[in-house]
Amino acid sequence: MTIDWATLGLQTVNVLVLIWLLQRFFWRPLAQMIERRRQTAQMMLTEAEAKHAEAEAALTAIAATRAGFAAERDAILAAARTEAEHLRTAALATTAQEAATLQTEARAAIEREKSAIELAWAKRANLLAVEIAGRLAARLEGAAVRAAFLDFLCAEIKKMPEAARRAAAGAALEVISATKLDAGEEDHCRAAIGQAFGTGPVITFKQDPTLIAGLELHGPQLTLSNSWRADLARILAELGHE
Amino acid sequence: MNSPLARDVMFHLGPVAITETVVATWVIMALLVVGGYLATRRLQLLPSKQQAAFELIVVTVDAQITATMQVEPTPYRGLIGTLFVFIFVANWSTLVPGVEPPTAHIETDAALALLVFGAVIWFGVRAGGVGGYLATFASPSPIMIPLNFVESLTRTFSLLVRLFGNVMSGVFVIGIVLSLAGLLVPIPLMALDLLTGAVQAYIFAVLAMVFIAGGVAEAKPSSKISHERTTP
Repeated sequence: MTIDWATLGLQTVNVLVLIWLLQRFFWRPLAQMIERRRQTAQMMLTEAEAKHAEAEAALTAIAATRAGFAAERDAILAAARTEAEHLRTAALATTAQEAATLQTEARAAIEREKSAIELAWAKRANLLAVEIAGRLAARLEGAAVRAAFLDFLCAEIKKMPEAARRAAAGAALEVISATKLDAGEEDHCRAAIGQAFGTGPVITFKQDPTLIAGLELHGPQLTLSNSWRADLARILAELGHE
Repeated sequence: MNSPLARDVMFHLGPVAITETVVATWVIMALLVVGGYLATRRLQLLPSKQQAAFELIVVTVDAQITATMQVEPTPYRGLIGTLFVFIFVANWSTLVPGVEPPTAHIETDAALALLVFGAVIWFGVRAGGVGGYLATFASPSPIMIPLNFVESLTRTFSLLVRLFGNVMSGVFVIGIVLSLAGLLVPIPLMALDLLTGAVQAYIFAVLAMVFIAGGVAEAKPSSKISHERTTP
């Protein structure tokens, strides 16, 4: 038996080439695929573990949330009760305040109504009193009363300023009485008035039963209301002011 | 029947005589390479049954390397796996009528043993450098240098002789029985020869791993060894 060295060399090269080719086309691709699958599986396992951990954490959170529901419910109820109490207190306070305001306003309205009624009654009483006084004074009409009113009228004329008295005397004057004066009384009045003015003005006489009693002197520049009607009107006005 | 010891030249490439052994090896190489290419052409993450079967081969080879050499199998997968597959297919090529296994010729076995011898040196030098590898011959003492040197040659020679003897004897026996007893009688012997061929492929690959692992482990610094072995 001999060794064929050429064949030995060729076989050595052949096996070397086969090793290289199989490493290139068989062993390495399969090993890479196995490694890739292993890495993928490892990655999936890691992801699964991560998701498992997340799920565990979520479950723990849910359990904690569930455990907190009762406390949260109690807290919400307590807060609602407190809020309701505050609202009730505030509503009561508001209602009480509104009631007090309404009461005050009602009292004020009552007072105003009462005052108005009292005022109305006072006015009616004043009117009644004036009317009573007017009727009573109407019974006093007579020469003596007219003489007294003439004295009052002359006194008023004399109280007037000199310039005003002269200006008034320069125009025609009208003496108004409640009843018609006879000629003597008219002369007496004319004389007394003329004396009061210091001149002899032109005087005419006129009747007005609403005066009740008295003598009133009217002219373009003066009006001397000297009668029961004027007095009663003044008294009524004063009573009204009170 | 041709003797496995005979040199059957089929043709010449210039001065080089191409024997039946080389041609058979080329055919086996072509089958393996084309088959390997077709097997890995469309790999998918979700493997088919065929892909799973091929991946099982890779995983098994890796497991054997890891169990035998106690190292990460990637650098040795191509060599060991190819040695096993080639020897296995070459041994079983006797099933094809008229084909003699390339491993029944001493040149093929010698080439395989020579490659293992070179791989021991290559991986030993890569693990510990030239000095580290040469230092392994002085282990456990310098007086062992001649013995270790002879051992490295004899164990390579033993690889050669073991594979060659087993395969060649199987071919011889089948040939003799076939020529004496008739057509069906050698079948049990052929089955035995197939079993022997598979076992011899496994033994050759395992011994190659043992020799390489021995060279690598001795050439490596001790700290590296302990570190690597404690790595899961």
